Amino acid sequence: MEIRVEQRAQVTVIAVAGSVDGATAPALVASFRERVGEGCIRIVGDFSGVDYTSSAGLRALLETAKEARQRGGDLRLSAVQPDVRRVLDLAGFTHILKVFADTDEAVASYSAARS
Amino acid sequence: VSREPNGPAERSMRDATFEARLENLAAMRRFVEEACRSAGMDASACSELKLAVDEACTNIIEHGYRDGAGPIAVTCESDGERMRVVIRDRGAAFDPGSVPAADVTSGWEDRPVGGLGWHLIRQSVDEIDYEREPSGGNRLTLVKRSRPWRSE
Repeated sequence: MEIRVEQRAQVTVIAVAGSVDGATAPALVASFRERVGEGCIRIVGDFSGVDYTSSAGLRALLETAKEARQRGGDLRLSAVQPDVRRVLDLAGFTHILKVFADTDEAVASYSAARS
Repeated sequence: VSREPNGPAERSMRDATFEARLENLAAMRRFVEEACRSAGMDASACSELKLAVDEACTNIIEHGYRDGAGPIAVTCESDGERMRVVIRDRGAAFDPGSVPAADVTSGWEDRPVGGLGWHLIRQSVDEIDYEREPSGGNRLTLVKRSRPWRSE
């Protein structure tokens, strides 16, 4: 699994590539947590390169979304591949996480209708 | 690839033993994928089965062998219609029937982090069977049906 972080104005894009499982999820959690700790609370998880996730990845996403939201931010996902989307659906995560078709749209969602 | 409707079922069996470490989950998934591919299983059924095996093995590594390492033996057996994966370990006894239902409907504030592994297994395979072996190991069987081939 690889993680690339890119700052786009107010939004932090964390691009993940590879498989997220019990072995790799801790690095993902650490990367998310580091950003949130630095005050980067508007996060987009670019999942275009993620070909697989187990429940370990779901745990990382929910933990990060909770931490970001408790500070007034959010974790939004973009470009989720079908197999990963299926896991999000099965876990009921598509009701609690915003998922966008592409990363630009997810980044733009933070400047539109800020509540 | 096409299969004759009444053609003979392709039987195949493979087994492998892995050390119970999270770093080996990728190799376990690859093993299942190769077995599915050689059995001619469709890609989405294969993905679902891989997820179920990953979750079951993650539980064995994190809970069954909590106090140390040990082997996980995986056998994949196909009759051409269904893939039967038998996962055996020598860790603590564990009955999947005792796992409470996962919360997949609460709002984000109340949604517990974790506890989704068995939910995903139940949603991803057609049959689940667990036995505590007399010799002291666990034997979990997951069965996945391959979906019918489409003509296009």
